[in-house]
Amino acid sequence: MSNSYFRPDSKEEWADLLRQLGRQAKVQPQPFFYTRVQARLAAGQAQATAWLPAWARRPAYAALLGALVLAMSGDGPALRPASPAGHYGGYNLSPSAPR
Amino acid sequence: MAHCLPLCVTAELPSPLGASTPATDAALVAQLQQGSEAAFRTLVARFQDRVYSTAFSLLRSPEEAEDVAQEVFVEVYQTIDRFRGEAALSTWLYRLATSRALQHQRRLSARKRFAFFTSLLGFTTNQLPEPPDHAHPQALLEGAQQLQQLQQQIGRLPSQQQVAFTLRHEQELSYEEIAAVLGTTVAAVESLLFRARQTLRRHLQPSFRHV
Repeated sequence: MSNSYFRPDSKEEWADLLRQLGRQAKVQPQPFFYTRVQARLAAGQAQATAWLPAWARRPAYAALLGALVLAMSGDGPALRPASPAGHYGGYNLSPSAPR
Repeated sequence: MAHCLPLCVTAELPSPLGASTPATDAALVAQLQQGSEAAFRTLVARFQDRVYSTAFSLLRSPEEAEDVAQEVFVEVYQTIDRFRGEAALSTWLYRLATSRALQHQRRLSARKRFAFFTSLLGFTTNQLPEPPDHAHPQALLEGAQQLQQLQQQIGRLPSQQQVAFTLRHEQELSYEEIAAVLGTTVAAVESLLFRARQTLRRHLQPSFRHV
């Protein structure tokens, strides 16, 4: 891909720098990598079996969330009085003598 | 595959470091899906360098790269049943490695920011240290400084550009392979690389003038 932004001399330097980058990227994990992966798998396995099975966790979260939503939204209007006492501008709940 | 350890031991596979071709990879996946420990060992041996070096290129930390590489192989083991072979095995592994590495990168940045703010508020002084600089002074004088600057600038690129640039110039993948890893088109990869190179050259330009 051409790029006129760069001068030819620095283009060479750029290419050289990219070659250095490529060479520098040849890194390897420490020896016995497979053993460590196995150990991690085994640790994950132990953790999973020690707690609830995976299938039981998500419905439990969903049920908890549902209960939370119900608790926060369901009973508000039921507990609130229809109109606060002494509230003017709407209904007057104070008993008045018929005229 | 049942998620049990130890894996079932099946017939010996060819040399663990044998060449990775679509046919050998497909055979490997088939054996892995049957629960073969030998297949898993072969898979790790065949791809560990590529997965590790990809993670290292994006994170510049041996510990983080090791962590990501382990995560990738654990995920492969746990989800190999869902691998249908639409993409090459190496593509899938590169995809996992890059996405996991970027996740780690974001987590590290968030932790650094949090540590910085808590230190400002005086709650703690346990700031995360900057990655150690192992460069020898002589090497720095001989031009490795530019390489270090380049690596720093790569780390500041937007994540898609960073992945594309790393896969191209450090893992030496073709444009088609990068497009497969990123789930995009070759033209989009070209555009990502063009923008990445422009940004990097712009930021490195002053130091080039003084070489």
